[in-house]
Amino acid sequence: MSIKEKLKKILVEELNLEDMTPEEIVDDAPLFGDGLGLDSLDAVELVVLVQKHFGVEIKDMDEGRPALQSVNSLAAFIEAKSAT
Amino acid sequence: MKPAAIQGVGVVGAFGCGVASLHESLRRGPHPPGRLIFSAEGRGSSMAAYLADPTPLERFVSKRETRRVDHFSRLALLGACLALEDAGALEGPRDDLGLIIASGYGATRTTFGFLDSVIAAGDPCASPTLFSNSVHNAAAAHVAIQLRITGPTLTVSQFGMSVASALARALAWLAEGRVSRVLFGAVDELCPVLGYCHQRFFGDPSGPIAPFALHRHSAVPGEGAAFLLLDGSGSSRYGLIAGADLGRIPVRGQLPGNGSYILNAAGHPSCSSHYSRLLPTGAGVAAFTPHYGSFPTGQALDLAVAALALRDGQLPPGIWGEALPNGWQPATLEQGAVTCVTCDGDGYFGTIRLERG
Repeated sequence: MSIKEKLKKILVEELNLEDMTPEEIVDDAPLFGDGLGLDSLDAVELVVLVQKHFGVEIKDMDEGRPALQSVNSLAAFIEAKSAT
Repeated sequence: MKPAAIQGVGVVGAFGCGVASLHESLRRGPHPPGRLIFSAEGRGSSMAAYLADPTPLERFVSKRETRRVDHFSRLALLGACLALEDAGALEGPRDDLGLIIASGYGATRTTFGFLDSVIAAGDPCASPTLFSNSVHNAAAAHVAIQLRITGPTLTVSQFGMSVASALARALAWLAEGRVSRVLFGAVDELCPVLGYCHQRFFGDPSGPIAPFALHRHSAVPGEGAAFLLLDGSGSSRYGLIAGADLGRIPVRGQLPGNGSYILNAAGHPSCSSHYSRLLPTGAGVAAFTPHYGSFPTGQALDLAVAALALRDGQLPPGIWGEALPNGWQPATLEQGAVTCVTCDGDGYFGTIRLERG
């Protein structure tokens, strides 16, 4: 399973997005606001989930803001951090 | 204290949800309990339990809006919605509405789930959502947010005395004019850890609960919620709550011998044995715990049964299991009043008196 596929599965199952499936999440759709409709509480949960499932820490807002834009950006962040 | 009028009743339990389901269960007799599944000491296990399904909540709130609401708070939210609907108050402003919720255990599934997440992944990876839902007042927060209740909000936890204690506070809020209406509710949930504990302490419940076998263990654990919309209008199709009090035994004879009582006797001898010391010979008694099981705030469902009885002018058929002890008689509504009574294992008791409105 690719990082993107795993991320989508985590988003749906761990954030309880019962009204959509992982396949319905578009790679470059915004995670927050008009995209998936996540909010600031989800952002906190997502930071923990990324650390738990990928062993990658999002240390602060400077790292988190660009990383948490979309599945694409988050997958790229995880790949980059995992490579270092 | 001025009585509070019951304008709406919302219930959820093993019998289903809504007053019609409770009424039907009372008329036909209780369903057999379901099974609580859990893992203990490395192997799967299950036990009899009265489980409640909050799925009908989707009728009131979208899945997206409740995705962070756990089972415990869903039970509460469903009970609250049903009470408002029953009162015809699902719409309209709620700035004059106070919210008081009683719970004996709190959100046990989430609390133990949070602890599991700490054990499994360490505290840096513990779920913030699980933590925020694990606090006792999470249900009140979810109900207030979803129903846009902007009045005062309170959660009361005093184990078996939670219902009487919380209701006393609701009556005080109405009496002092703090709010013109109170949405009062009580909720408790079952979880695998509680099931495991019950099995360890008491063995497998065989059911059914025998409420009046006061010295024999017959408890079957349950879960559910009961909510009442209260105001100070003085009239109601469900009757009035005239008082809610707490006390401690020994006070034999304190309660009137010619009264009618609904006991929250649920098959725990350590609690049930105290009823003999509290209620005099000749008292009229009934118990309905076999419809919803044993849990700390089960008295709130007794309260709902009492409200239905006052509406209908008669108590539902009693469940005796065996002959009534202590010279007690089957309760009636001849005097137009009934008192819900609960006792805990330490000899504390809570009474709630209801009268025709």
